[in-house]
Amino acid sequence: MPLDHNERQSGRDGARWRQDFPIQSGEASYAARREFTKFLGLTSTAFVFGTLIAAGRSIWKRWAAASHAPRAVARVAEVDVGAYKLFRYPTDGDPCILLRLGPSAFAAFNQNCSHLACPVHFDTEAGHLLCPCHAGVFDASDGRPLAGPPRRGLDALRVDVRNGTIWVSDPGGAST
Amino acid sequence: MSPQRRLRDRISVVLHMAMTFVITILLAQLWLFTASLEAMEDPDAPLGVGLAALAVSLAGCAAVWWLIRVFLRTESGS
Repeated sequence: MPLDHNERQSGRDGARWRQDFPIQSGEASYAARREFTKFLGLTSTAFVFGTLIAAGRSIWKRWAAASHAPRAVARVAEVDVGAYKLFRYPTDGDPCILLRLGPSAFAAFNQNCSHLACPVHFDTEAGHLLCPCHAGVFDASDGRPLAGPPRRGLDALRVDVRNGTIWVSDPGGAST
Repeated sequence: MSPQRRLRDRISVVLHMAMTFVITILLAQLWLFTASLEAMEDPDAPLGVGLAALAVSLAGCAAVWWLIRVFLRTESGS
């Protein structure tokens, strides 16, 4: 069997360079493909982990929403028709807005815009919720997007009025 | 054309098909990942969306590793 170029250069099989560069020229393309397929497999595994994290976070958010207790945020007399009140629910890091759209019509939403989380504010004249960052417009009654870049509506909260007090809770959680 | 050459050509076609499957599965996994992200952000989305995406993505990953093993075995054997 004829010696290849490397073997001719070294003159012996146990040369030190063989330990440092174990892949022969004939095997190089196979080794490259092996590395490439390994990369594809690891990419696939990374997608699984990403999907696992997203699914786990989705479950955790629902569980957290179900475990938040309703909270009294205002007396009915405190909020005039067409006015609004800011509050935080369920934690101090979650700004929300309560709207009084009619004598007995209330709506409450998370104040973070569904586009890039800028706080929305209530335009009393137009009757819409506006995002000042990118001109997103939301319907004040149900939070659905009307104009601008947001594609998803605002996260709505459940509103209950009992004994002249306005209570809010997560829509997926248990009501009192 | 010699029988050996013909066999190598056939194996080459099979290997290309295997790699095409792998790329297709990876693209499908990317789509499933974005779908699960959308479901995570949307509180109205059913919980089953994320779980179904996870199950299908896991099956796809198993298929990718199986195809890669077949690919490398076939190639080293040929």
